[in-house]
Amino acid sequence: MKVLVANRGEIACRVLKTLGHLGIPSVSVFTDPDSEAPHVWLANERYALGEPRAYLDIEAILKAARDTGSTAIHPGYGFLSESQEFASACAEAGLTFIGPSAQAMRAFGDKRAARTLAVSVGVPVVPGAEACNTVEEGRAVAQEVGFPILVKAAGGGGGKGMRLVEDGAEFEEAFLSAGREAKAAFNDERLLIEKYVFPARHVEVQVLGDGKNSIVVGDRECSLQRRYQKVIEEAPCAAISEEVREAIYKSAGALIQEVGYLGAGTVEFLVGPEGDHFFLEVNTRLQVEHPVTEMVTGLDLVAEQISLAHGGKLPDCPRQRGYAIEARLNAEDAYNGYLPQTGKLLMLEWPEIPFVRIDSGVEEGGEISPFYDSMIAKVISWGQTREEARLRLISALEKLTLLGVVTNQSFLLDLLKAPFFEDGETFTTTVESKTWSSPLAPEFVDFVGKREMGNRPVEVASGSAGVGDRFSPWRNLGSFRMGE
Amino acid sequence: MPWVTVEFEEHTYRVPVARTNKGVWVGWPGGSVFVEREEEMAARAGSKEDCVIAPMTGRVLEVKIQVGDVVESDQVLVVLEAMKMEYRLCAPRAGSVEVVGCVVDELVELGAVLVSLEDT
Repeated sequence: MKVLVANRGEIACRVLKTLGHLGIPSVSVFTDPDSEAPHVWLANERYALGEPRAYLDIEAILKAARDTGSTAIHPGYGFLSESQEFASACAEAGLTFIGPSAQAMRAFGDKRAARTLAVSVGVPVVPGAEACNTVEEGRAVAQEVGFPILVKAAGGGGGKGMRLVEDGAEFEEAFLSAGREAKAAFNDERLLIEKYVFPARHVEVQVLGDGKNSIVVGDRECSLQRRYQKVIEEAPCAAISEEVREAIYKSAGALIQEVGYLGAGTVEFLVGPEGDHFFLEVNTRLQVEHPVTEMVTGLDLVAEQISLAHGGKLPDCPRQRGYAIEARLNAEDAYNGYLPQTGKLLMLEWPEIPFVRIDSGVEEGGEISPFYDSMIAKVISWGQTREEARLRLISALEKLTLLGVVTNQSFLLDLLKAPFFEDGETFTTTVESKTWSSPLAPEFVDFVGKREMGNRPVEVASGSAGVGDRFSPWRNLGSFRMGE
Repeated sequence: MPWVTVEFEEHTYRVPVARTNKGVWVGWPGGSVFVEREEEMAARAGSKEDCVIAPMTGRVLEVKIQVGDVVESDQVLVVLEAMKMEYRLCAPRAGSVEVVGCVVDELVELGAVLVSLEDT
């Protein structure tokens, strides 16, 4: 077996680490802007793909697999992980795709088909419609269901290609721009429309299947979201009763069993205030937030994926023990419209705290480039109680030192310290219904900054905005070559 | 890049700092901020009112105006894509378009002036 990891960043690192400790030979792929990225060197072999969008290039990835003699491909999440075309192409090329069968991807990878399937096995769904190919069709569906509605990419998740539309006037632009975003992110511009349900919790179920049988591994709550992207996730969901949990597990199991699912998957639900649940979608891949489930179950989900894809057995049904919380550290200005930020990681020190796990794909000196997702790392804590996990995660984020790029570090702390989070009062609308303002920097900060720039010579031109410093002695040197 | 010890108002702090040619990054437990050189700050402040500035490095998806167009305040002028998300950049005030500093598909840097406006 030799596994090619068709991804980048933290998830490529995550998968390569498991391949490493299992002793399975591995191959990383990388694009031009990623040539210095950490994932490249975590593999036994590496393969250059070229231009920045090549992680989405099926032919390029298959060629990399052929040239390196790989026998299997792990797609990570995002990029080609939910591309049925890619899964089929792998099968045709004689490669093991570490993910579900093309049949299961047909059933679930497409959100429209998944809704239809859910209805057929008696799983409750959010009111809406599967088919809307044009603005006119979409508008008709939206008016039938009634605003506000959500426009969603049929071909992928992660909040990309998703828009909340409050009324008809905003519809056309939202529909068209969601389509473009979906095309850029998933190479699939099809959309679907759903009634916008609120207030609701986002609860999801981790499942594993061996192609015949399946097990429910555990559940997560991921209600804290901004721009439909999760920021804080936890396992298990502390807010639902055992009866509700049982009902949700039963719905998830019914869907997974119906298609003879193979590998790891996540069934997502909205849970209303009465504990009624609505099926949202199945993600036929590893999720960003899978570590919280790993922390409470002790399962290595990547190892399970690899085993199941190669005909391995399902693990024993695990029990969830304690609580885990994950915070996504993003390069973004959380207090200013979550604008993505780029730059160089001038200083980076991760916290070392018992029961805290860091999944990252960057290192000090690395660049956060505009080409890819803004996530820098995931910081995950475990505790015997939810409160213990919360306090550990706060401590971890306070001890994390990152300079050079604006991040959401203090915003994550705002969320974790907020009374609503402590009380578990988390809904999908919570983050955006509140006003968040940048905390005041400690008083010494300005003093230190002025002192540092006044007393010492400027040594490095750094960051993407680097322009030659006019006081620098290096400016007067003219051009020269090393060794001359 | 170093940690420095700072005496400030009778307290001693251990502070992470990182210098660039435009200023200094300074951290504290749970956050960080960029302390900009005064001349940089002054240069930026002068251009804010009349310009649309790229709020991040990204690719230009759409340019909705041409030189000479009369625009209203908050009208969408340029659509930028970064990290697979779209951002609509709006006119800071009403006026007419004096310069268009970007073209579709161009990769623009953070801080680049994309559009500048003049009085009609």
